[in-house]
Amino acid sequence: MEMLLMGVCLSVFGLAVVCLAFGAATRDADNVIAAAPAVEKEMIKAAASPARFFVDPSVLPMAARTRVPIEALLLQIENHVRLEHAAAECFLESPNASLLHSRTMSTLVN
Amino acid sequence: MVDIDLLKGLAPEEAERVLALGKRAVVATGAELFHLGDAAECIYLVARGRLRLTLPMQVRSHEEDILVEERSSGQTVGWSALIPPYRFTLTASAPLETEVIALPREALTGYFAAHPDTGYKVSFNLSCVIGQRLQLFQAMWLREIQRMVETRCA
Repeated sequence: MEMLLMGVCLSVFGLAVVCLAFGAATRDADNVIAAAPAVEKEMIKAAASPARFFVDPSVLPMAARTRVPIEALLLQIENHVRLEHAAAECFLESPNASLLHSRTMSTLVN
Repeated sequence: MVDIDLLKGLAPEEAERVLALGKRAVVATGAELFHLGDAAECIYLVARGRLRLTLPMQVRSHEEDILVEERSSGQTVGWSALIPPYRFTLTASAPLETEVIALPREALTGYFAAHPDTGYKVSFNLSCVIGQRLQLFQAMWLREIQRMVETRCA
């Protein structure tokens, strides 16, 4: 009987902890920010990072892009120039608007 | 002898006479043939190897030489030597050991004055080289403008 009561108490305590944790995790960010001064709210909004799942590399912030080592960036630029050169040569072989504006695979612009 | 774009349409002996005006030179791997802004006294024919034509660009506050074009055997570089104000508008360097034939402007213009037929053919070939570069970069420039418009109007 005592063991059973102890088990029930521990279960109730565990459930309470889980509820608190869930509540903290799902609390609306705006409700938290509402209490802060207006300036602080702006700062928090600016610092808030977007969701990272299935992130689109093309919308990565500039700060994230600058983390690319300069050697890699120079290679990207060179690759971009080569691709653009090839695209322009294709256009000159058979000049038409669709070839002039054909899409590029360059990682520099995509 | 490789096919040389500047000497197309010339009889072999005629081409040899033009080539005899020049001097062969070897550019070591990584060395510069000419630098942006230098006085352009010679036009160069690539006999062997490859040349990178670059322009300076600011990348993260550092000046970096960015590839604009590559030229290989049979192609002409440094036509600024024949176009006023006779200053190179690019830097040429060799990514691997490269052999060029340097044709001095003075010698060429003197020879063309004495042999106008050869001068006409070489000038025509030169205009093809320049025209091709112009058309190519016009297309590249427009592609960049198109991308800029798409980005700004998105």
